Amino acid sequence: MRSLIKELSDMRAISGSEYRINKEIAQMFMPYADEVRIDALGSVIAVRECGIENAPNVMIEAHCDEIGLIVTDITDEGFLTFGPVGGIDARILPASVVTVHGKRDIEGVIGIKPDYLLEEGKSVKMKDMAIDVGMDAAEVRKIVSIGDGVTLPQSVGDLGKKQFSGKTLDDRASLAAVIEMMRRLKDKQLNVNVYACAHTQEEVGCRGAKVSAFGIMPDMAIAIDVTHGVTPDNSYNAFPVGQGITISLGPNIHPKLSERLIKTADDNHIKYALEVDGGETGTDAWEIQIAGAGIPTALLSIPLKYMHTSVETLAVSDVKALVKLLVNFIEGQEGDTQWLKL
Amino acid sequence: MKLLEKLTMADGVSGGEDAVRDMIISEIKKYCDDITVDAMGSVIAHKKGKGKKIMFAAHMDEIGVIATFIDDKGFIRFSNVGGIYTKEILYSRVRFKNGIIGVIGAEEEEFNKKPSLDKMFIDIGAKSRAEAEKYVSVGDTAAFAGGYTEQNGVVIAKALDNRAGCYILIEAMKKLKRNKNDLYFVFTTQEEVGLRGAKTAAYAVAPEYAVAVDVTDTGDTPEAPKMAVSLHRGAAIKVMDRSVMCDVDVREAMIAAAKKAKIPYQMEVLNIGGTDAGAIHLTRAGVKTGAISLPLRYMHSPSETASIADINACVSLTAAIADTL
Repeated sequence: MRSLIKELSDMRAISGSEYRINKEIAQMFMPYADEVRIDALGSVIAVRECGIENAPNVMIEAHCDEIGLIVTDITDEGFLTFGPVGGIDARILPASVVTVHGKRDIEGVIGIKPDYLLEEGKSVKMKDMAIDVGMDAAEVRKIVSIGDGVTLPQSVGDLGKKQFSGKTLDDRASLAAVIEMMRRLKDKQLNVNVYACAHTQEEVGCRGAKVSAFGIMPDMAIAIDVTHGVTPDNSYNAFPVGQGITISLGPNIHPKLSERLIKTADDNHIKYALEVDGGETGTDAWEIQIAGAGIPTALLSIPLKYMHTSVETLAVSDVKALVKLLVNFIEGQEGDTQWLKL
Repeated sequence: MKLLEKLTMADGVSGGEDAVRDMIISEIKKYCDDITVDAMGSVIAHKKGKGKKIMFAAHMDEIGVIATFIDDKGFIRFSNVGGIYTKEILYSRVRFKNGIIGVIGAEEEEFNKKPSLDKMFIDIGAKSRAEAEKYVSVGDTAAFAGGYTEQNGVVIAKALDNRAGCYILIEAMKKLKRNKNDLYFVFTTQEEVGLRGAKTAAYAVAPEYAVAVDVTDTGDTPEAPKMAVSLHRGAAIKVMDRSVMCDVDVREAMIAAAKKAKIPYQMEVLNIGGTDAGAIHLTRAGVKTGAISLPLRYMHSPSETASIADINACVSLTAAIADTL
């Protein structure tokens, strides 16, 4: 599990640049799927057929994009100015070593002027920062173009014996769980077809999931994302890391589907907490639910500390709990959708 | 550029694009195989071909105002249609569909700050409600009025956003003879109020690829917000805006086509705003979508300014991509 999480977290692709990694992700699904395809927006869709006529289609999805930066200009001195892609926190950028994805990948540093030169009480704004790649403008322009993506530095990996820290556990840790689920389901007789998806462009508005859901029109969908883990500075609406996953409730969630997930977790002694969202969940589930004529949708989340920073940290046992719940849920399907009727 | 002058001087506030639509239909009839107008009022022109199904889109609508209330003295209160900056519209002239001109004024206390829309009014010179109601009814829309000027390689006009885009599509249609790909040229409605016409048109056309042609901001005026796009540097190939991350294949095909035909181009990263591309790429199971942008100064004002050479570069790039994608 750890090595799978690491492999996925090490990949680099901001929203809209998933073409950099989607073929690799498709390869990872290949041994466990009957068919793997890439759709118009670049999402990877791995299909496991059960062979039963008119069997229900179940979508299990995570997103594969990551937040990052995009080059907006190259200054006459060779610095790269940049803007955000997705909800990036400007406070974490100074003193970062970033990777610029030009004609080839190059390293850059984001520096800021020393504290004693800064007006008191002022923080540095993203529009005043620049990436320094140590080259003059002519040299930079040979490698970097306006519009090239930039990704954050990688974290340390193993943190103690139980936790893992990486730059893109949101949401590649969930993707690792989806791949591992497919591996465990291999050679098992199922009563449903499984559509395991790595969706694109979640961080800029759940765009990949929206069109993929329309294309597949599954009978039910489970979105998997991360939720806030308890940290020293935040325990509000946060869940302790290492104590299991969360199962969401609220208008975004189909009540029968969440009920079944809760029962599956209880029956199999899988640790979970209930997470309540009174409205938008801010996840792919929000768009999937209203695709086409509507799709019964649920949301499972892994508690994650320091979300949208380069040191996102989680407990590996939570990812394992998630895999167990997904496998038990799929294996428990009897091949009908009557139970979803409201 | 007679056609561009005609297009910009016509009025078509979102939801009331009829005059522009009629003008475009008569202009393009000869250059396509069939034309339909959909329920949202968008014009869908088909230029048949055997290859890939590609949709080009430019919006016909423009920002404006809509009358909400007429007071006893004949002053008209109004609301915005699309993105309007209240600071910039004071004393502007607006033109209702019947040709009646109004001047935008504001209550005295609003002069020293950014006026709020509900403290502003339109004066058409009427002396009473009864007189005003002879010319304007609640619900009537009016477009910003302004002349058309060409000088020093630029064109200055209202509604270059996005009649310039319409002009670019029309001129590209004229250039394209015996096109290989199956082309749809769509002139959309209601872009300024949320990319709404493009959404239904793209659903109906269901293309494999799409290219939106619209305007974009520039960073080339004194102390402008930082942006790499400038006038006179060619067609802008969009990488992203708030509504879309452009498809990499379409983007690279545009760059290759521009290089091959020696069309000047620049790359565009816009951290605000959206275009029809945003609605189109999310249609059905997804559409590989890119965008060509015309650099434009003073967007959403009656004096929008663009480079004639850039407009021509956009025409060439649109025509080139239609057959190379």
